[in-house]
Amino acid sequence: MPKLMLDDPDGTLVMLSDSVTGFAGRFPGAKAMRERRGRGGTMDPLIWSAMAEAGWIGLLLPQECGGAGLGLREQTVLSEALGRALIAEPTGAASVFAATLVGGASPGAERSRLAAGMTSGEIIAVPAWTSGAKPMTARSVNGSILLSGEMRFVDAARAATDFLVVARSADGVILLSVAADAPGLAISERAGVDGGALATISFSDCAVPADRVLSRANRCEDLLRRAILHTRLALAAELTGVASKALELTIAYTSDRVQFGKPIASFQAIQHRLVDMWIEADFAAAAVVNAVDALQAKDDDAAELAVLAAKARAGEAAFSICRRAVHLHGAMGYTDECDIGLYLKRAINLNAMLGQPEQLRLEFVERESGYGRGRT
Amino acid sequence: MAPDWNEVPDEEFRSVFRTWVDQNCPAHLRYMRKQRPLFNEVAEWYHALAAKGWLAPTWPRQYGGMGLSAAKHMIYVEEWGRLGCPRIPDHGIGLVGPLLIQYGTEEQKAHYLPCILSGEHVWCQGYSEPNAGSDLASLRTSAELDGDVFVVNGQKIWTTLAHCANWIFVLVRTERDAKVRQKGITVLLLDLTSPGVRVRPIENLRGETDFCEVFFDNVRVPLKNLVGKIHEGWTVAKSVLGHERIFLGAPTRPEYALERLRRLAEARGAFEDPAFLSRFARLRLDLYDLGSAFERYAKVLRAGGELGADVSALKIFTTELYQRITEEMLTVAGEEARFADDLGAGDVDIDAMNLFLDSRAPAIFGGSNEIQRNILAKAVLQLPG
Repeated sequence: MPKLMLDDPDGTLVMLSDSVTGFAGRFPGAKAMRERRGRGGTMDPLIWSAMAEAGWIGLLLPQECGGAGLGLREQTVLSEALGRALIAEPTGAASVFAATLVGGASPGAERSRLAAGMTSGEIIAVPAWTSGAKPMTARSVNGSILLSGEMRFVDAARAATDFLVVARSADGVILLSVAADAPGLAISERAGVDGGALATISFSDCAVPADRVLSRANRCEDLLRRAILHTRLALAAELTGVASKALELTIAYTSDRVQFGKPIASFQAIQHRLVDMWIEADFAAAAVVNAVDALQAKDDDAAELAVLAAKARAGEAAFSICRRAVHLHGAMGYTDECDIGLYLKRAINLNAMLGQPEQLRLEFVERESGYGRGRT
Repeated sequence: MAPDWNEVPDEEFRSVFRTWVDQNCPAHLRYMRKQRPLFNEVAEWYHALAAKGWLAPTWPRQYGGMGLSAAKHMIYVEEWGRLGCPRIPDHGIGLVGPLLIQYGTEEQKAHYLPCILSGEHVWCQGYSEPNAGSDLASLRTSAELDGDVFVVNGQKIWTTLAHCANWIFVLVRTERDAKVRQKGITVLLLDLTSPGVRVRPIENLRGETDFCEVFFDNVRVPLKNLVGKIHEGWTVAKSVLGHERIFLGAPTRPEYALERLRRLAEARGAFEDPAFLSRFARLRLDLYDLGSAFERYAKVLRAGGELGADVSALKIFTTELYQRITEEMLTVAGEEARFADDLGAGDVDIDAMNLFLDSRAPAIFGGSNEIQRNILAKAVLQLPG
C-alpha cells in the first residue's frame, strides 16, 4: 500500500510507526470510536494519557520547554500511522495545533506550565480560535482580562483542562489560555460525524489572569499561521493513513468475497476501481512527502503552497477512497458493525477540518497567481 | 573516449548541457507544432548532437553514447523539453541501441550502432498489428526459415515514422503451435528497402501522418539479422524500456497545455467566472501533485534503484490530466471551438484544437491506460486473476 517515503537513516521513523501498531493492539481504534460514541463523544482520558506516555502529545514542542524536540517528519509519520490504525483522538487540534501555538509563545511561566502538562498528559489544551456568532473580545479590567464572545468547532471540549483562545484586544490580537472551569465559560456540544463531539464555547465576561497571555500580534493570521500550517500537514498525513488502510481492507474484502464462483476482485470492473483508488492514495502520500520537504527547505511561500496541496489531495483521496470502499463492501459496508464505515466517517471529519479541498485549491491559485483574489 | 558525465555534479551538468543545447539547437526548430517531425526536417539538429557526442544519452561510452545514469538522463530530458527542442526520430537511439547492446552479437553492435549515430539508419518499431494491439502476443506476422534466410509475411500497423525510416525491428511469429502464446516470437532487424516491403502512411485526427501500415510480402531477411534466440524474442521485446518508462509519465504535456489554457483563459476573461476558477484550480493542483508524484519515482532512480510496476500510475495520471486540460480549453473557447485552426489570444495563438486532438493519443499508446490498470491490479495490488 502507498506509504510515506521519507528518508529514515537511523530507523526512528519506522520505530515510531511500529509503536503505533503496538498501541493499536492495546487500544483498537474501531472499538474506541464506538465506545466514545456511546459516551456521547467524550474522549477516553486513559487513551490520551497513554498517548502522552508514548511521547506523542506535543511532539512538536521545542526541547527548551520540555518537548521531545522532534520535528515535522516525525509528526507526519506519527499522524499517518494514527490514521491507519484509526486512533481517532483529537491529535490535530490538541497536540499539533496546541503545541505549535504554545511552542511559538513568548517564553514564560504559563508557556512552561502548558508545555510540561501537555507532554505528561495532565493538561489537555484545546485550541478555540474559530469565531462564532459573537466575535471574541478581550478587555483589561483591574489586572484581569475579561473575555466575551463565542468560539465554534472546538474538539474534545469536555475533556479539556485549558482552552487556547484567540481574542481581539484594544491593541491587536492576543492568544491566552483559559481554564476550562473558569466562571463565565459555557460549553454546548453537538455530536460529531465520527462519534466525537464538537463544542461551541460561550464566554461572558469570563475573567482570566493577565499572566495567562501567551502571545500578542497585530493580526490573527500572524498568531495562527504556523499552527494552521502544521495542523494541515498532520491532517493530510492522517488522512493518507485512513485512505491507505481503507483501501487495504477493501482489497482484502473483495479478494475474499466469492460470487459467481470467483473472488469479486478478479473482475476487471472491480480491479480498475481498486487501481484508481490506489493511484489516489499514492498521489496523496507523494503530496504529503512534498510538503514535508518544502517545509524543511525553509521557503515559506513554497511551503504554504505545498501544504495546501497536500491537505487538498489527501482529503479528497481519503473521502473518495472511503466512499468507494463502503460501496465495494456491498450491503455489509452499509452496516454499523462493519468497520469500513468508521473510516469513511473519520475521513469526512478530517477532510472538513481546516479547509475542504475546494477551498484549499482556490487558496492555492490565489496565493500562486492572484486568481480570484479576495474571493476566498 | 567522452568524459564521464556521471562524475560531474548534477547542476554543473545541467548548466553545461543547457548552454550548449541553447546555442546549437536551431531557432526555427524550437517549439515545433509537429509532434513527430520527419528525419529530414530535423536532420541538422540530429547531426549536430551526433558530432558533439550527445546523441545517445544512455548508451555506454564505448559505443559512442554519453553513458548517463538514470538521474543524469532525467536532467538531459528535462532541459531538452525546457528549451523547446524538437523530438528527433529516436527509435534507433532509444530502442534499437539498448536492444543490441543487451542482446546483440558483437558483429551486430559494430555494424548497426555507428549507423544509428551517423543517421544512415533511421529505425522504426514493428510491434502492433491490426489484431494484436494491447494483446501483443497474438501477433501473426510470420517468418519461416529457408536455409539461412527468414521469409517474412504479414502486416504491422501504428508504426511510427515508418515512412521516413529505412530499417525496422520487427516482432514475428516463428512457431505457431506453441501452447504458451508468448513463445515462438522472434525479433528481426529488417531492411525496409528490401523487395516485398510496402509502407502506407496513415493520417491521424490532427491531419498529420505520424504513423504507418507496413506490409511484408515474402521479404527475405538474413539469419544474421536475428536478435537474441529464435522463438524467444518476447523477453527481448519487453526489455527495451527500462527506467525510461518514467518518461511516459513525465508532466511535460499537461504542463505545456495548462500554460496554453491559462493564456487563453486570461485573454477571454474566464478567470472572472468562479465556476471556471474552480475547475482551473483543480487542474492546477493535479499538475502540481503530479510533480510531487513524479519526484517520488525520480528519487528512486537518483538513489540508483529500479522502477517497479507502480510507475504505471504516472502514465495513467499524466495522460488523463492532459486530456482534461485540453477539454477545458474547448470549453473556454466557447463557440470558437467550432474552428479547426488556432485561437488568437492577445499576442499569441493558442492551438487549442490541435492539443485537444493530440491528447487523445497518449492514453492509448505505450500500453493503453486500461492495460496499465491491469498491470497495476496484478503486479502491485496483487488482485486474484
